[in-house]
Amino acid sequence: MDFFTLSIWILTALLLIIFFIKDKKKTTDALKKAFFMGRGMALSIFGVIFAIGLLLALLPPEEIAHIIGGQNVYVATILAAAFGTVTLIPAFIAFPLIGTLSSAGVGIMPAVAFTTTLTMVGVATIPFETREFGLKFALIRNGLSFVFAIAIALVMGVIL
Amino acid sequence: MSKVVKMLKNNLFFAAIILAYIVLSFFSPNFAIQGIKNSGYYIKEMLMIMPVIFVLTALLDTFVPKETIIKYLGREAKTKGVLVSFVLGSISAGPIYAAFPFCVMLHKKGATVRNIVIILSSWAVIKVPMLLNEAKFLGLEFMAVRWVLTIIAILIFSYIADKIIKDKDLPQIAEEEKHGVTINTDACMGCTICTKKYPELFEMESKKATIKEYSDLDSGKLNDAIRSCPVLAIKYIK
Repeated sequence: MDFFTLSIWILTALLLIIFFIKDKKKTTDALKKAFFMGRGMALSIFGVIFAIGLLLALLPPEEIAHIIGGQNVYVATILAAAFGTVTLIPAFIAFPLIGTLSSAGVGIMPAVAFTTTLTMVGVATIPFETREFGLKFALIRNGLSFVFAIAIALVMGVIL
Repeated sequence: MSKVVKMLKNNLFFAAIILAYIVLSFFSPNFAIQGIKNSGYYIKEMLMIMPVIFVLTALLDTFVPKETIIKYLGREAKTKGVLVSFVLGSISAGPIYAAFPFCVMLHKKGATVRNIVIILSSWAVIKVPMLLNEAKFLGLEFMAVRWVLTIIAILIFSYIADKIIKDKDLPQIAEEEKHGVTINTDACMGCTICTKKYPELFEMESKKATIKEYSDLDSGKLNDAIRSCPVLAIKYIK
């Protein structure tokens, strides 16, 4: 568990104690609310998780690196951004992979595009996002994030 | 039977994924097994953060008044709202979907679409542990430049998103406002809390709460029921 996750647990535990002393009934009601909120979202969350598992099985990160590596830099950037949207790879796997990718000669642009869409845009999370925020919100947020991920990559390619 | 159909209908995506696994295990069982193995890591990641996010969201929902949220994240908060959103997103933990319940709660309490988009985006890309990792593998310069550019990008596209997406595009605001006591039956999960809080008014009918006929309302009991509803499905408009 990293420092931030741990801090959130500690903060929540502290709040729970403070609120419990302040208002026992409201706090237990809040806990019930949390439980039902979790139950209501459980299937959506498991849907996302198993979708990612399947996507990674069909398209392992090494395969992605291989495909991107063989292209010219602009095609590679768009491909990298696209692959980034379908998968959701934990940072500790993604960064070494991106490191090898950029040192293998594809340059910095695909690496940046991949990093940004990887975490910000998610095809696997769109159904869940739609359920919580509506289709319009989900499509526009993901669409804009995708476009700006490529923009960030292009600017970085020029600067660095 | 109809219950199963209804549950599938409400969780189409989950059903589709399960179906994909079943089909795949016939044609190439190795992929299906690998998929489940991969999912293991994500389940661990989810369990580390989701329970605490749900508790924190419910606590803040119960104890932080609407006015406070509006003050810091609402329309009038302007630059302050943008700043608060960036900080909230950056000190978070867990994958982007962990932010969904938290942001839904904030929006219900009056946070703007722009600030919600900022929280979601910074939750995804500018987390501190992630930045440290990035600097380690890709160099400090790479990390710093990407960090600055990402913040600028989020500032711009959250502004665009806010212009396109109206508050009413988000589901919870789109509900029709009817007078009297109403229950949003799509949201109701049949937890029976309201029937315990105010048995004279609420009853269960095929696993959903319904309202009995009433002439007088006990506002104390009613407010208690409204507040206790885990999905905020009960509304009362005079």
